[in-house]
Amino acid sequence: MTKVLLIGSPNSGKSLLFNRLTGLSQKVANFPGITVDVATGKLQGMDDVDLVDFPGTYSLKAISAEEKVAVAQFEKALEDNEVEHVLCLIDATRLEKSLFFTLQVIRECEQHGKAVTVLANMIDVLEANNLSIDLPALEAAIHTRVIPISARSGKGLADIAEQIRAARSAGAQARRPHLVDTPDELLRGTAHQLAQRLGPRGDVLVRTQNRLDAFFLHSVTGGFAFFGIMYLLFQSIFTWSTPAMDAIEGSLAWMADGIVPLIGNSILQDFTADALFSGIGAFLVFVPQIFVLTFVIGLLEDSGYMARATLICHKPLRYFGLTGKSFVPMLSGVACAIPGIYAARAVDSPRKRLLTYMAIPLMPCSARLPVYALLIAAFIPAETFLGGLVGWQGLAMFGIYFFGMFIALAITGFVSRARKDAFDDLPFVLELPPYRLPGIKPLLRNAFNRAKHFVVKAGKIIFAVTLVVWVLGYFPNYGADLGQSWLGHLGRVIEPLFAPLGLDWRYGVAILTSFLAREVFVGTLGTIFGIEGAEENMVPLVQQIQGSDLTIASGLALLVFFAIALQCVSTMAILAKESRSGTLALKMFGAYFVLAYAVAFLVYQLASAF
Amino acid sequence: MEMKPPPEATRTLWSLRRGEHCAITGYDDLLAEAYKVRLMEFGFYPGETVSCLQSPGFGAPKVYRVNNTIYSLDDEIADHILVESTPPRD
Repeated sequence: MTKVLLIGSPNSGKSLLFNRLTGLSQKVANFPGITVDVATGKLQGMDDVDLVDFPGTYSLKAISAEEKVAVAQFEKALEDNEVEHVLCLIDATRLEKSLFFTLQVIRECEQHGKAVTVLANMIDVLEANNLSIDLPALEAAIHTRVIPISARSGKGLADIAEQIRAARSAGAQARRPHLVDTPDELLRGTAHQLAQRLGPRGDVLVRTQNRLDAFFLHSVTGGFAFFGIMYLLFQSIFTWSTPAMDAIEGSLAWMADGIVPLIGNSILQDFTADALFSGIGAFLVFVPQIFVLTFVIGLLEDSGYMARATLICHKPLRYFGLTGKSFVPMLSGVACAIPGIYAARAVDSPRKRLLTYMAIPLMPCSARLPVYALLIAAFIPAETFLGGLVGWQGLAMFGIYFFGMFIALAITGFVSRARKDAFDDLPFVLELPPYRLPGIKPLLRNAFNRAKHFVVKAGKIIFAVTLVVWVLGYFPNYGADLGQSWLGHLGRVIEPLFAPLGLDWRYGVAILTSFLAREVFVGTLGTIFGIEGAEENMVPLVQQIQGSDLTIASGLALLVFFAIALQCVSTMAILAKESRSGTLALKMFGAYFVLAYAVAFLVYQLASAF
Repeated sequence: MEMKPPPEATRTLWSLRRGEHCAITGYDDLLAEAYKVRLMEFGFYPGETVSCLQSPGFGAPKVYRVNNTIYSLDDEIADHILVESTPPRD
């Protein structure tokens, strides 16, 4: 088996080309320490050749630790005897952007005796605008074959396999080295001159792009467009995902109804119903949201709009140590932290990505909604004023939603100032790619890969924790009474921890189980208070809580506790996987628990005083 | 007392308004060496002509054209790129 590496600068159409060249046969992996995917697939028409898609980069001179990993992996791959050819992709419409990097790649290939071919993509865009680049002169200048292609239309793609075959029969040694000892400075100057001399003349493409930018970046029209598009993105997470989420829940319930009665052993029956089906359902239900959000973000990225959205919200987020690229992950986090954490891959600066990770779990996600609804209904008066337009309960819901966002920004602002030099950073230089029509198939494939990654990587952790909580809640009395289970006993053991918030063991147990998913808090309290279906109809549970010893001060403390605490095993699992650091997930869990507890204690004390 | 305008050489890329053009004269000493190299890789060479295409409101990063590529830079970077004014492109 031989390998061909595909490398190119960002926004040069590499993903689309890779998908075109490999079809459906793809495997996605990561380099240790970085979040960027490395996809491998069989080159169509050459079954004995694997095409490896390297992360897009502007230069082989890395400036962040993460870039260094990617560059080191490229250099390591060149030492691999199985690698026989490197395809270097450039954007023919913007030659000056790619040529320095191309020369660096050619030099590396010469040093390692590997064949190299340059692919000049978007040749169709040049032709459509009566523009051209001087390909023969470019080939002569860089002593390398340059194939004009269009990844979108497929033009020139057949020539790639032909070139790989030709290079294989000629042998890499047939190439005479020209750049082996050329330093970067000289390459940079050469690239600059070549781009000026051989690149497309005229600026029709830039003018078209600038006309659209004048609309999308205008203070008024750009603002409306931004809010409209972000509203659609946010809606897509909820609305487009809901039918699939309902279908998953319905299918699992249908399967459980069919399978569980067939099981003779009662423990195995309860295990299958509660741990297996509920456990699997608890994380499978997130898959549609991940798929839809990845697809919509891909649409925005490929269309060129995402870069403009990043620019629009960069300034206010920068004040809190974040970047414009943090906005979409944080907005996604308002629906669910899991797709938000996946979306944070787009944040290229490791420092700002870490801060984005810290902000996302504090966004008021939809799983907090049932908890807020229960506590607000129980403790906040239902009185309204201004003719019914404004009510205390609505204000409380509004307040607790924005409280989470406020805490998120306060934390990132504080950490970014306190740990100024602690993490790698990258300058905010954002390439604004041309506006283009996105290719749907690669986006669907990417969304599928992301959803699969979630199921395979996070599913195991989530299921293991679900299993532990089920065992604790089921034994030793076989699920007869949650209060007398090991979990109930554990609740009594930790009762002193929550007593300073005015909470007894029942709330301690509900907080413990809500680690599976925050909304489980409502169901657990329902079980403890002996109310069936509390998740669907909260009124009897609200009345029970109102009739219990719980004070308003404790209710408010619980509200702020849930606004801050990282009570979600799925979020922690995916945070550990995406950040490549289980320690980070555990540290965040611990820190947010301590902060949530401290703020809840403060609120309890203040509310008790009045 | 009459105020003298600052010398042309001290202008930075960030000071460009929409539609203005300039030539890069260099970088100030505060910009990290790695960032200078990266900027040059993007095409921001000393001597290169740069146009300011968009200057969105509220201090948002500005949009610059270098050759046929368009970049957005915020003041943390653009304020370290030294420029001098040039006549508009044709």
